[in-house]
Amino acid sequence: MKTDVLIIGGGPAGLSTAIETASRGLDVTIVDEASKLGGQLNQQTQALRPLPSLYESMRGFELANKLIEQIKDYNVRQLLNHRVVGFYADGSAGITDEENVFPVNAKKIIVASGAAEKAVAFPKWTLPGIMTIGAAQTLINRDFVMPGREAVIVGSSDFAMETAIQLMDVGIRVKAIIEKQSGALAKEQEKVRELSRSGIPFYFNSFIKEARGNGQVEQIDVALPDDVITLNVDLVCMDGGRAPILDVLYQLGCSFGFQEELGGWIPQYNNRFQTDREDVFIAGNAAGISTHGPLLLTGMIAGISASEELQAISALEAHEIREALWKELELLEDKEMHSGRVKHLEKFANPVLKDQFIY
Amino acid sequence: MHIEKHPVLGRQLHKPVTIYFNDQPYQAYTQQSVAAALMANGIKKLGVTRKLVQSRGLFCSRGRCCSCYMTIEGEDHVRSCMTEVEDGMRIYPNMDDPEVRRDIDED
Ligand code: FES
Repeated sequence: MKTDVLIIGGGPAGLSTAIETASRGLDVTIVDEASKLGGQLNQQTQALRPLPSLYESMRGFELANKLIEQIKDYNVRQLLNHRVVGFYADGSAGITDEENVFPVNAKKIIVASGAAEKAVAFPKWTLPGIMTIGAAQTLINRDFVMPGREAVIVGSSDFAMETAIQLMDVGIRVKAIIEKQSGALAKEQEKVRELSRSGIPFYFNSFIKEARGNGQVEQIDVALPDDVITLNVDLVCMDGGRAPILDVLYQLGCSFGFQEELGGWIPQYNNRFQTDREDVFIAGNAAGISTHGPLLLTGMIAGISASEELQAISALEAHEIREALWKELELLEDKEMHSGRVKHLEKFANPVLKDQFIY
Repeated sequence: MHIEKHPVLGRQLHKPVTIYFNDQPYQAYTQQSVAAALMANGIKKLGVTRKLVQSRGLFCSRGRCCSCYMTIEGEDHVRSCMTEVEDGMRIYPNMDDPEVRRDIDED
């Protein structure tokens, strides 16, 4: 199979990059291992804000539907339930439908592989019933399944608070929010107040000492600053933050740099979201953990840049659009994150180390 | 338990199917993942770890952690959180290593 642009990942960044490239007449292929495009947006029932000026405020699944609707007008091939498993010597991607592997030859590759949730380890944290907050959200909003009846949440980020509210809305009793820091981490303090008002205790400076259960979690011990309490729960939702998913970029041999604010090791890229492998662009959480608005913008920038190289748009026009998108990115993105991104770009021009990975 | 009426998304579970876990029938709905459908029926233990023989369940529901491996329609080590249920599907937990030397033409 041949295509102009191969997009790896069909979440918000992948879809926005698909719109930019396909709307300029390019032949675009999206590969995603899920059975539906939209990525994690599909089970996000919370309102997303701020989004780029192009989009009015909406809920996650609404945005997924909108983006999917938009690409319908264009020449976009969808390889759903498909995965990239490696690359052939000639540079073409090896893609599997879980039965056969076939090569896809692309002029440009845009990697929008997203992020994975990290775990919070404590003794017996692997017991069934202990899962990431994202998994709990997927169960209630995508699968329409109750993951449990009595839960605790480990962590107090915006995402954790949002999930706690969504769990309560389907009738799950949230017994406590356990946070190892001395205060709630969520930026939207209103959510924290809403949860406190409904009587949920926040245990600060606290952590799970141990979980117990026969074949599934039944009980946890929580170490408070000056006490240990035992709670009966059948669901523990943990928020360990997120890390970029980079497997494909390692395989592509892109060079990497460490950027704390963006989530650690990520590929180096320039202001076109182009890696040091000139045919490979990057977008979304894979280019640094961020929020929804920026995910869409990075996808748009990568798409414009790939379109420019394939001569689907003039250099001048590409330059102007890119400038405007970068301005908007600076507006929408967390300050600290944005300055991390700018620092990261500088490293591209002046790499401290090249080939720093031992293969 | 299935969520029959979701506070934001309303009624979404329309097409019931029957799946078999350890040869016992359970009700699920199309578009649910195997792992989720089992959880709705109170089954959280999907297998055990190879080395320490500890219970495993759904952890990420994203296809990343591989904690949800099961045997689905005769195929071992399938990520049950990424596989949608189908009517009559036969599902077994992964309680030990798969027989990798099995002759593929055997069945
Ligand atoms: S639960 Fe993590 S891969 Fe299925």
